[in-house]
Amino acid sequence: MNAEPKTCSATTEADPVSETTTVPMWLITLALVLLFLGAWVFDLRGGWFEPKVYGPYTSVADAGRFQPPPPDGPDVKRGKVLFEQNCALCHGNDGMGKPNQAPPLAGSEWVLATGVNRLIRIPLVGLNGPIKVNGQDWNLQMAAMGAQYSDDQLSDLLSYIRSAWGNKASPVTPEQVKKVRDDLKGRSQAYTVDELMKLPE
Amino acid sequence: MKSAATIFLAAFLALSASWAAFVLAPQLQLGREPQAKATGTDNLYPVARPGLAKQGAEVYRSLGCVYCHSQQVGQEGVKCEVILTEAGTNASVTLAALAKLNTELGQPQTLAALPKVLMPVADVPTAVPIIKAIAAVGAKAEARVTPVGADISRGWGLRRSVAQDYAYDSPVQPGTRRFGPDLANVGLTKPDVNWHLRHLYAPATEIKGSTMPPYRFLFEKHKRGAKPSPDALQFADEPGFEIVPTDDARALAAYLVSLRADAPLVEAPFTAPTPAAPSTNAPVATNRVASLPYTASELLKLPESSK
Repeated sequence: MNAEPKTCSATTEADPVSETTTVPMWLITLALVLLFLGAWVFDLRGGWFEPKVYGPYTSVADAGRFQPPPPDGPDVKRGKVLFEQNCALCHGNDGMGKPNQAPPLAGSEWVLATGVNRLIRIPLVGLNGPIKVNGQDWNLQMAAMGAQYSDDQLSDLLSYIRSAWGNKASPVTPEQVKKVRDDLKGRSQAYTVDELMKLPE
Repeated sequence: MKSAATIFLAAFLALSASWAAFVLAPQLQLGREPQAKATGTDNLYPVARPGLAKQGAEVYRSLGCVYCHSQQVGQEGVKCEVILTEAGTNASVTLAALAKLNTELGQPQTLAALPKVLMPVADVPTAVPIIKAIAAVGAKAEARVTPVGADISRGWGLRRSVAQDYAYDSPVQPGTRRFGPDLANVGLTKPDVNWHLRHLYAPATEIKGSTMPPYRFLFEKHKRGAKPSPDALQFADEPGFEIVPTDDARALAAYLVSLRADAPLVEAPFTAPTPAAPSTNAPVATNRVASLPYTASELLKLPESSK
């Protein structure tokens, strides 16, 4: 038993104190190299936090390479949207027309004509006066509803009305619309049926 | 402890940074994901589950199905191929056009069994000129995009799972373990509600060697009366008794049948496979849809005895 109290002596070790040491250069270099590699792989395959990018695709454009190709020729789906927003109010979603508003487009000989020279003119400048559609007489005015649209949009729209509701006619190309638009030379006066019938089909 | 404030601040920053990156940012990006249109159609995807299936999701959750079944399909890559679907009216002209693409394709057997894989291509834009060249001679070809990967070759899905698939799930149950198969598309591969009911009652009778425990408490065993229950399972393990699924069992089966991630999306594109044209000398059993009932003429074509 050691009952003697410990005595302080000069040999007691001093309290440890913190001191600064320099981080070795190789550790900094390694950290930077790893950071660079990580950033490089992220840039290559990470998709930059884009929520619509999933592996194995590396970017939106990469996934875009595997989407189905757009349909050849006029896009009737876009035409359908245009029709339902702008034409369906009078001509009806079903293309059957409405009494005292607009004649039907479904089965109409004006819509289904082999040549589209006359059909394209109607939305571009409008149509006035009596017209016979599906054996029924109409006498109304249509404004130049289609003048605001581009050639592409109008060809989508006209291709839609020529292919919907049991209609089966060839699509209208943007070139055909452009040709007619050039031929109109800025005319804004609505056509009458007599005038249209004088034009070649 | 003179650095307590520093330690607290550092821990707080570390935790809040990971919370922001792994919880807040995904919630802002995907939390209010609207319905998307399936590629090439006007169909919205996903659609909300019907009421019974929605109740079934709760049954699925309460029974802990998620501890053995995942609901997430992985994908390792994607391949793109040009497929010949129609030979056109003039076979020799079509073959000449195909020979221009690849001399081996000029052989008459190319047109023998359509649709036929003509060649692998890098992506759809590369395939478009080939398809146009084939369309110019009156034949028809299309680009087919097929996801590849281990899960896909197991038949667990047509494409990988994406966030959109879970838009109506709360909570989302993607699972972490696969003691049983993945169920992300079980409604696609097993569309029959009665199959699921029989399988829940006695898994091993439907799948040989299944290790799934039977969920018999989801069923009631009644003495068969004069009028058997219309819902009773086609099970005859005890004569004079019938096995009737409870509401929970019916809801769970409805939920399982509703599990199908089969819409092509912008973020996970694929081409729905065109059904193979039935060839006349192939055995009937191989190219029939499993869920369709037999017709008498189909049955008579089958051999009378089975081994």
